[in-house]
Amino acid sequence: MPQFLEARDLRIAADIGGTFTDLIAVERDTKRAIATKVSSRPDQPAEGVLEGLRQVLSDPARLEFLVHGQTVGLNAFLERKGARVLLLMTAGVSDAYTIARHDRRDLYALQYRKPTRLVPRRDVFEVPERLRADGSIEIPLDPASLEPVMERIERDQIQAVAVCLLHAYLNPVHEEHIRELLHERCPAVFVSLSSEVAREWREYERASSAVLNAYVAPSIERYLRHLELKLAELNVTAPVRIMQSNGGVTSTRRARRQPIQTLLSGPVGGAIAAARLGEATGRRNLLCADMGGTSFDVSMVVDGRPTGSTEAELEGLPLLLPLIDIHTIGAGGGSIGWLEGGGLRVGPHSAGADPGPACYGRGGRSPTVTDANIVLGRLDAEHFLGGRMALDTEAASAALKPLATELGLTVLALAEGMLRIINAAMADAIRTITVKQGIDPREFSLVAFGGAGPMHAVALAHELEIPEVIVPWSPGTFSAWGMLQTDIRQDFTQSFYRPVDRLAGDEVLSSLRALERTGATALEEDGVETGRITFERAADLRYVGQEYSVNVPLPGDEPVDPRVAAVAFHEAHRARYGHAMPDASVEFVNLRVAAIGTISRWPWTRRPPPREGDGRLGQRTVVFDGVKHDTPALLRHGISASDRLAGPLLIHEDSATTVIPPGWKARVDDCLNLLVHQP
Amino acid sequence: MSSRPQVAVSSTATDPIVTEIIRNALLACAEDMNQTLIRSSYSPIIYEGKDCSAAILDEQGNVLGQSTGLPIFLGNLEACVRVTVERRGWDAFRSGDVFFLNDTYLTGSHLNDATIFAPIFWRERLVGFSATRAHWLDVGAQDPGGSMSAREVFAEGIRVAPVRLYEAGKPCRDVIDILALNTRFSETLMGDLNAQVAACRTGEARFRRILDRFGYEAYMAARDDFFRQSELMERAAVDAIPDGIYRACGLLDGDGRGGPALPVKLRIDVAGDQIAMDLTGTAPQSSGPGNVGYAGTLSACRVAFKLLVHPERPVDGGTFRTLTVTVPPGTICSATPPAPCQFYFTPLGMVIDLALRALAPAIPHAVAAAHYGDSMVMRISGQAAEDERFLMTGPHPGGWGGWHNGDGADALINAVNGAFKDYPIEVVERKFPVVVRGYGLRADSGGPGRHRGGCGIYRRMQVLRPAELYSWFERSVTPAWGLFGGAHGAKPDVVINPGRSDERHYLKANAVALAPGDIVELKTGGGGGFGPPWERDPEQVRNDVLDGYVSTAAAESAYGVVIVAHGQIQEPRTRERRAQMLADSRDETCIDRAPFSR
Repeated sequence: MPQFLEARDLRIAADIGGTFTDLIAVERDTKRAIATKVSSRPDQPAEGVLEGLRQVLSDPARLEFLVHGQTVGLNAFLERKGARVLLLMTAGVSDAYTIARHDRRDLYALQYRKPTRLVPRRDVFEVPERLRADGSIEIPLDPASLEPVMERIERDQIQAVAVCLLHAYLNPVHEEHIRELLHERCPAVFVSLSSEVAREWREYERASSAVLNAYVAPSIERYLRHLELKLAELNVTAPVRIMQSNGGVTSTRRARRQPIQTLLSGPVGGAIAAARLGEATGRRNLLCADMGGTSFDVSMVVDGRPTGSTEAELEGLPLLLPLIDIHTIGAGGGSIGWLEGGGLRVGPHSAGADPGPACYGRGGRSPTVTDANIVLGRLDAEHFLGGRMALDTEAASAALKPLATELGLTVLALAEGMLRIINAAMADAIRTITVKQGIDPREFSLVAFGGAGPMHAVALAHELEIPEVIVPWSPGTFSAWGMLQTDIRQDFTQSFYRPVDRLAGDEVLSSLRALERTGATALEEDGVETGRITFERAADLRYVGQEYSVNVPLPGDEPVDPRVAAVAFHEAHRARYGHAMPDASVEFVNLRVAAIGTISRWPWTRRPPPREGDGRLGQRTVVFDGVKHDTPALLRHGISASDRLAGPLLIHEDSATTVIPPGWKARVDDCLNLLVHQP
Repeated sequence: MSSRPQVAVSSTATDPIVTEIIRNALLACAEDMNQTLIRSSYSPIIYEGKDCSAAILDEQGNVLGQSTGLPIFLGNLEACVRVTVERRGWDAFRSGDVFFLNDTYLTGSHLNDATIFAPIFWRERLVGFSATRAHWLDVGAQDPGGSMSAREVFAEGIRVAPVRLYEAGKPCRDVIDILALNTRFSETLMGDLNAQVAACRTGEARFRRILDRFGYEAYMAARDDFFRQSELMERAAVDAIPDGIYRACGLLDGDGRGGPALPVKLRIDVAGDQIAMDLTGTAPQSSGPGNVGYAGTLSACRVAFKLLVHPERPVDGGTFRTLTVTVPPGTICSATPPAPCQFYFTPLGMVIDLALRALAPAIPHAVAAAHYGDSMVMRISGQAAEDERFLMTGPHPGGWGGWHNGDGADALINAVNGAFKDYPIEVVERKFPVVVRGYGLRADSGGPGRHRGGCGIYRRMQVLRPAELYSWFERSVTPAWGLFGGAHGAKPDVVINPGRSDERHYLKANAVALAPGDIVELKTGGGGGFGPPWERDPEQVRNDVLDGYVSTAAAESAYGVVIVAHGQIQEPRTRERRAQMLADSRDETCIDRAPFSR
């Protein structure tokens, strides 16, 4: 029905954040984007989405799809309000979950507490069965042994069960059998299998992943059911696609089965948006800085792709899942300046959102980075959040005063010093991240978004010797916009322990093909046309004896020559670690396939809204390097493509302020990005 | 406490902003070195176990920034640099040089711990050192991975005084080849060596960039400034500890060959902002491998100090200036050649626990009861296949001590180790011909107390091929003591074929033959309790029973909580039991029942 699809010329993303729910609607033909922000309702998250939809969607029949980023699962976890989960593990070793790993995070904490588990020991059940390390069955599963579990599920009305059996990553037969048996007797219970959630070795990490999946599943189920009901009332028939942490979207059906994939999806939209921005403007390598009031998230686009990882952690609990790598740095507008041993420190303590910086006027007394910004004139007290929130410059100054006096500095010198320290610390943290990846930040452009990103971006770029800063149009809704640039994506992993030199080429290919068939089936079930399905192949390889592996893409659809993969591995190892051992034995660890249902993209152009006057807001006094500069303040949408600007300069827009120090040059490009360059 | 004058803040003009930027940058520099090392190393003991450390040092060898890593490496990287200077002189260093040493008596560690460091030059001036230490899997001891039965250091592997691995940027192949030949796992050793060199290079580049940016003078001023900050804070913290002489003593099990228990004696003098630790009276060095060089004991005393004084702060050249450590030569804590030192950490765990025990009366809120105390190393070695030998080795976790406001952690790695992660069962079974038949927490192993000691673990392993067992389990004579009325935790044990007619118990085992199908069960100790057990909230005891940390029988006998069917507390009998326990305790003169304190 092509005509029908033709008529659907509107795409919408709805991104629930802690304070606001951002919606952005893009019209295919006019290329116009309409953004709106409504207050989030943590108790009823769907309400913000629906209210926003009513604002931007006049005719539901025009909607092609809705992409949805939600934090329901994450909130259930953070507030520890998820379901009571029973965990089933192999008899004899079920304490592997309770013991966790035995390392200490805090080396000199004598009064140490381990991360708080989600399942108490009394809810861990042992299942008599055993697989060998090669996946073969040593002790078969006895269905009768599940009787006590079934009784407990019925007696206590348990909603969710997690299953993690030893070596199930090699052979899921017992886990799958357990699910069948549980569903025969208790059809409503949600069953989370470690072999489905995280098909990789390491039983504690896999159990932790399966438990987390089960823990949030009922919350997500309730939420999606409610949302779909309400959307139906609005006559929305277009599909809802749920944002995942792997950078793709999925159906609501699959999100219900694998809710863990949505847990860390919050900041991912920004990384996708940056990758798309790079594609549209011909840039392959980007560092992405998403800075809000209390958080600072860094991601990377290398060679056109957001860098990924296969492992993450939430409050000390591990998760094995493919995800876009987002590094959270404990520095932000709320970071507090303080004295230790007579020396000045900034952070890691934060004033948070409440009471927040002193200038918020909510009773905060500690001097924060935001207070320093306002004292230095870099933040416009009248235009913060588009004028929705007035800032108290006096209170900011008063908060800095006592600390300045103790250090024998003026308030201005302290304010600028605090910014220099926090900028350098953020740069150090970014550099450590790049060291882990074997990347040189000087070859990157810095994309800055989020409310506070553009304020610090140029200073960060200076620290990291990055020549170019890009501030996208409407940095506050950049992440939501990124969600519209995604494809449908499911990742599949298969353990594959084989030394390269004892491997036939078609063995790799047949395993990859099997994964691809699984992937195709999964996407077809979600309504993706076969012709739109593509695959990305990769393998994890390592030197025999190493534990950590390096992920190597296997390009194309060709048979895979293991020796060619090994050469690619040596190169990747050298790039990342500075050395390689071409003579050493290499082994495969995992094969990975991402099944991708391509969504046609609409070209990146953005029509600027009509220009209002010359956009000049007048002159401000701003301190740079200890000197007060007479600094013009401009409205972002007053700048045209032909303007050539030079710092010092402040550029205000609804959701952010960009600070351009003396000497830096700025202009806007065709996509309305603000480009700032090193002198 | 005293009115000793505080260190004056320097009148030289330093910029607090630049100081803080440089301080942070140096910490980041050490962390970047550590990341480089961990991510590129070859042996699980480094990348999983984090048995490594990295630091950036100034031109005198003072720490500018140290990464997180193995706590017991606190303070002996600088010792290695200084010892090299003593032997070779300052003129020995050239840009591009990389040095190596592992001499146990100099490093205060065992021969497996390889210290690799590089001098850093900036504009032709020696400005500092980047240094790393990492555990090498095997350095050619008489037994794989290190010896349990050495009588002399010469059986523990190759021993190397400071030598160059690189000279002016060029690898010294002759030295590297010697190292490569003196190990059972050459490829792994070379990989780890390269990883350490790469980490040194990372540190060198980053440190130079800091100097490029701020210049030498500003860096020096900043360094003095933040050293002074650390010193000031520590002096104030030590000043707050009541003055006095504090003592504690414990017994190590022995030399591993049936010799007598070995006393470790610690006296701590707190006077004003000075704290002195003295180990005079500690046993003479033994012919078993549980000795350590002085540098290691210094590190242990620093770890104990750090656990009590600003544990959250990073270490630098200004820390530990108020601490002095005295050990007469020739004890198990100040070993001299040829004493074997493979299990150098055994006396160190005891020193750390004793320091906390000694200071408990002075600062009860800062301390904890003793932890299970040692690394509990077990090795299983053999032929995996005809052409392939295997070596499974690692430490094991146990219970930590309760403290004034919380229970001790269950199954946590010991104090001298840090970020050491255990090997997952799936990794173990994949890599080694071993099947893990049981793994769990030992019920009732945590010392009872108002705040319970943490539980130790058991691990039951079946070998599939002929193998040899080596174990070094300690702290059975003085298990983890309780504090302020808390009881001690359970002792460790190693059992071969439990429940069979050929059942045998060991703590120290050396090359004990295992046949295919044999079972080895290890048990680690629990932590000590804090405060009288009958003061523990009955609801907490009930929860411990429901979760299986405490048995119903122990709930009654040790805690006086009577639990009946369905996990309900029998209130009247509980009141009665607890009243009796309180009355019994009044008959005793000693309120804390630490077995070997005086």
